[in-house]
Amino acid sequence: MDESPQAMTAASIQTYRDALFEAMEQALIRHDHTVIIGQGVTDHKGIFGTTIGLGERFGPRRVIETPLMEEGSLGICLGAALNGLYPINTHIRADFAFLAMNQMINLAAKYRYMFGGLFEVPMLVRLVIGRSWGQGAQHSQSPQSMFAHTPGLVVVMPSTPEAIRETYAYAIAHHRGPVISLEHRLMYELAFRSDPAPQSPSASQSGTPPFTSRLERRGRDVTIVATSIMVLEAKRAAERLAPHDIECEIIDLHCPSHPDRDLILDSVARTGKLLIADTSWLAYGVAAEVCRIVAGTAPHVLTAPVAMLGMQPAPCPTAKSLEDMFYPNLRDLMQAIVRLVTGGDNPAIDLPDERSMADFYKTFRGPF
Amino acid sequence: MSIELGFALYKGLYLARRCEEYIVRHYPDDEMKTPMHMSMGQEAIPVGICHALAGKADILATYRSHAPFLAQTGDHGRFFAELHGRVTGTADGKSGSMHLSAPEAGMLGATAIVGSNISVAVGAAFANERLGTGRTVVAFFGDGAVDEGTFWESINVASLFRLPLLFVCEDNDYAVHTPKSLRRGYASLTAIVRGFDCLVYEDESNDVETIYFLTREAIAAARERRCPVFFNLKCCRYLDHIGIAPDGDACYREPDDVQSWRARDCVATQRARLIRRGLSEEILADHEQATDRAIEISIAQALAASVPAPDRLYRGVFHETS
Repeated sequence: MDESPQAMTAASIQTYRDALFEAMEQALIRHDHTVIIGQGVTDHKGIFGTTIGLGERFGPRRVIETPLMEEGSLGICLGAALNGLYPINTHIRADFAFLAMNQMINLAAKYRYMFGGLFEVPMLVRLVIGRSWGQGAQHSQSPQSMFAHTPGLVVVMPSTPEAIRETYAYAIAHHRGPVISLEHRLMYELAFRSDPAPQSPSASQSGTPPFTSRLERRGRDVTIVATSIMVLEAKRAAERLAPHDIECEIIDLHCPSHPDRDLILDSVARTGKLLIADTSWLAYGVAAEVCRIVAGTAPHVLTAPVAMLGMQPAPCPTAKSLEDMFYPNLRDLMQAIVRLVTGGDNPAIDLPDERSMADFYKTFRGPF
Repeated sequence: MSIELGFALYKGLYLARRCEEYIVRHYPDDEMKTPMHMSMGQEAIPVGICHALAGKADILATYRSHAPFLAQTGDHGRFFAELHGRVTGTADGKSGSMHLSAPEAGMLGATAIVGSNISVAVGAAFANERLGTGRTVVAFFGDGAVDEGTFWESINVASLFRLPLLFVCEDNDYAVHTPKSLRRGYASLTAIVRGFDCLVYEDESNDVETIYFLTREAIAAARERRCPVFFNLKCCRYLDHIGIAPDGDACYREPDDVQSWRARDCVATQRARLIRRGLSEEILADHEQATDRAIEISIAQALAASVPAPDRLYRGVFHETS
């Protein structure tokens, strides 16, 4: 590794997409038994640029194009894992993975337990959440809670390139079971600046497995538990509110299957206020689960009802006018924080008139 | 076929048949609290195939997997312990009848979702080919599984990837209680499968030696051609879809149908053949009695074994990190 100052500077700026590519490339370089399996992994777009060229470099025995066969594809990964390979399975929309639910829920999640611990099925399943530009009802779903509901699956939602690099490298090198990662399409083009030192005490540098939550920002007034791109939105909101003396603590849930309960409870005990910002529907989801953690353990620490932001309870519409209402935007988020912290609206705080989060992340231009 | 080999096949048939006859005898005691889908009547298929590939194949089976498990492993001790929910079973008492496995013997598991083991078998064959293990993979499934989309995904991609895989359709005519005539919009399954780049064999003999030789021939041809094999093997399940009631007793099936299959029962056929070849009744009876005693001991040991301790409830939910 080149660790010259120039290289370090270059490496500290990276897009989400490039981190995914790096993770795929490193998996193939470092682990001979790793294979990437999916429809489109060798085509010219290469899973939104995250596998481009890998088929040529590593050959068709490492990077395997498949027919459209979501269930079969995951079953193949499971069988390949049983017999010694480490498969990485890709789906360019999380919605498509519903076709593979049988293999994920009925087999992969249970292949260790129901056979009494005799088998290991290490694998990484990459699913991409779509959003905006008319993705509509079947290209926009964010099924983290559906997977995390089932014991046996590790579910991660990386919100930064750092999280991708650490979590994927760790999963591939050390974890002997199925890991499902939900990547957010809207973040693919975003360039992130990596902080030189990890902020989170649970980051892998400290030796703790990265399948848990991460503290992203300290603040005294409100605890925001967020997932995926909503972590970025929470950070934007926190920065705008800090000058108004509203200090947000942000926890990146990161691993919905294994939330850091203590991190959440300690934070809410200090702030007394909890806001949950998720990429999916609220009912029976991450919002409900985080509420369960607090309500079931220490409901008395809450000084106000919990606030929650997520998708509206409808299938996703395509018309932009409706789509903008369907997802929470920065204004909604800031307003919810202000109300939660101060007990009402504050006219002194200038709320942004951004109508859509997607408009902010302007580099994204469809069609996927 | 030599008497020795024919006798070995008979031993496989007898073990599978007698284990299930003991289940039928003891099921009403309610010590085996697990839904059972009996193999009885269909034993010639797994016994013939597993013996033909002995030690050189991984197998994946369905919830009707007593005979495949016993044919592959011979391990009636852990089999009965698992059916009794004991820690000495195949899976710590967590699998029951429907999820038997024995990785050390190449039994990579049985699943209770129809058709779901087929693509897993494709993946296991993919890994074997990629890692150069030289092992074949056998996917056992019923004719009902062919109705599932995953079968067609799997036969397609196994043919495309030219994998060392034997698809075995145990064609007993029924998906649960629904006959093929109500399920298929086509006349011949094998005519369709012949359109794929794989070798297709059909057999209606219900005869263990025929199936043994067919397997040897097919695997040799598949190695030559570097392609998968599809077997459509006719058979009859003697008992109901689930449980121990005779299948002919139910209203959906003609008793004569089962009776005609019983008239050419695979176990009795092989026994009569061995007698004709000169094996003595005494040797056969000695073996049968010894097997019965061994099975009785397995059942007694299962009953005497420990049930899982409370801490086993959570053990193995998530995979440990190495």
